[in-house]
Amino acid sequence: MEKTRLKNWQKMTPVGRLFHTLGIFILKTRMGQLIALFLRTVASLFDKSHNFKSDSRNIIMQTFFTGVEIFPPLFIVATLFGTVTIIEVISLMGKMGMSGFVGDLMVVVLIREMGPILTAFLIAGRTGSSLTTYIGGMVINSEVDALATMGINPIRYLVMPSVIGGTIATIIMNIFFSASAVGAGFLVTKAIIFVTGNAPNLQITWSYLSTEITKALTIPDFVFAVVKPLVFGIIITTNACYQGLNIKRDIRQVPKATSRSVISSFLYIVFADVVLSLYYFISYMNNLSTLI
Amino acid sequence: MLDEALRLENIYLSRNELSGTMFSIPRAVSYFENIRTSKSSEDNQLIAGANLTLKLGETICIGGPSGKGKSAILRLIAGLARPLKGHIYYFGEYIPSEKLTALEVAKRQVGYVLQNAALISNLRVVDNIALPLRYHKMGTEEEISKKVQMAMDLMRVRDYAKMFPHELSVGMQKRVAIARSWAMDPKLLLMDEPTAGLDNYNRRNLLPLIDNMRTMFKTSIIIVTHDLMIAKELDCNLVFLHQKKLTEPHSFDYWLHSDNEISKDQFRDLQSVSPNI
Repeated sequence: MEKTRLKNWQKMTPVGRLFHTLGIFILKTRMGQLIALFLRTVASLFDKSHNFKSDSRNIIMQTFFTGVEIFPPLFIVATLFGTVTIIEVISLMGKMGMSGFVGDLMVVVLIREMGPILTAFLIAGRTGSSLTTYIGGMVINSEVDALATMGINPIRYLVMPSVIGGTIATIIMNIFFSASAVGAGFLVTKAIIFVTGNAPNLQITWSYLSTEITKALTIPDFVFAVVKPLVFGIIITTNACYQGLNIKRDIRQVPKATSRSVISSFLYIVFADVVLSLYYFISYMNNLSTLI
Repeated sequence: MLDEALRLENIYLSRNELSGTMFSIPRAVSYFENIRTSKSSEDNQLIAGANLTLKLGETICIGGPSGKGKSAILRLIAGLARPLKGHIYYFGEYIPSEKLTALEVAKRQVGYVLQNAALISNLRVVDNIALPLRYHKMGTEEEISKKVQMAMDLMRVRDYAKMFPHELSVGMQKRVAIARSWAMDPKLLLMDEPTAGLDNYNRRNLLPLIDNMRTMFKTSIIIVTHDLMIAKELDCNLVFLHQKKLTEPHSFDYWLHSDNEISKDQFRDLQSVSPNI
């Protein structure tokens, strides 16, 4: 056996050996394994044993699991965050005499940056951790082993519905977040003005706010409102499933893996956000050069 | 046509493999990790140089003291652990070590009843049995439900069809697990302690079922057990795991009357009560 392995190694050309070493090195890192897991999840969609009915049922269940239970905290966070942003932006911009940029700043803060990130954080805290404990518990009860010995691909049965359902739910929740931050945030702002007798000294109407925001919205904002939560959802669910499947048969590993899953999801989300925002940075740069 | 169901040739297994299969890591990585650990010390080897041949339709029992790697051999055959060295042939077909995974083995209709039954805990008993059938689309919904009913009748778990696994006792879970494996029509069935946790009545019911499977469906069966009387009742050969190796298969009576070390360890009580001695 040892000899045949050596022979296979020597059969490779130098270029092949280089690529082989590189591939193994990449696959040994955690990032490489995450990407490989995601690619295997996508590949498992086209398995021989695809069953549209049960798959769609699993995916819809996962979407509800991710979406419905996260909705109350997400709604409250979005509303209060929207209120704070509206009050601060309008009073600050009024002071600085740049009332024309209220809509731009609201779009940048609420819809472009903080909306997707806060949604992703909330979903990472809830769905990510629960997925890790769920899959980790199955690993420890050797249910995953049993699935594999029955010929059921654990990646297809466990990871695929979670990734697709979680991603769909993240996209929907992001749209909810932006809508409730602006809509319910405006209502709460009005309520604050009414209760305190206009202590913040704001003149704000719905028509003013909505025209400012719709004026500031561009087509890339709509595209990124889908692309960002798509990427974040894939990161959260893939990472959670990876950490869950990575547990050795030791019950103490489950809490460790859960916290690792949530924290590393946060980290990857922020990195991905920076990478995705490069698009805006580049467009700002182009605008600058035209100005100069 | 080859008439062997399974052949193990000079198998070496390391203790590291028992920590569980990593489904998160691509197969190639763990294969090359395995090469690195193969240079590890001999103390880490759980099994060194085991050989076994199983004919089609044959039943074999593996005995031996606990903690010496009997279940590890079944995990190895089921593809959940990977040998350091050695060759495994399923139905005459050699699967190279880098391709040896549980999914690949399961394609060759190898069933495995785990020691702790390992039922999927969020599915009811019916769905647990029907899960692999539905996944592999083995027939229409009616055929599947008929098959599930038959499996439940055989293992007498029909009254508990709508229960969740945590509502059942350990013995009942084991019966459901056996029913689940049976419903898949395996050609080679691996059973880890099938009679542990079963009462005498259900044990007596299980043995004819195993007997039926091997006569009617020509299923080859490997049973890991401490209950050595099974070998006598099923009239099959016994193999012992001794000093990291598998011994030659011999009948129950041979072991009972022979004078070697294994017989003295394992059959002391039986020898003293046996009227033949």
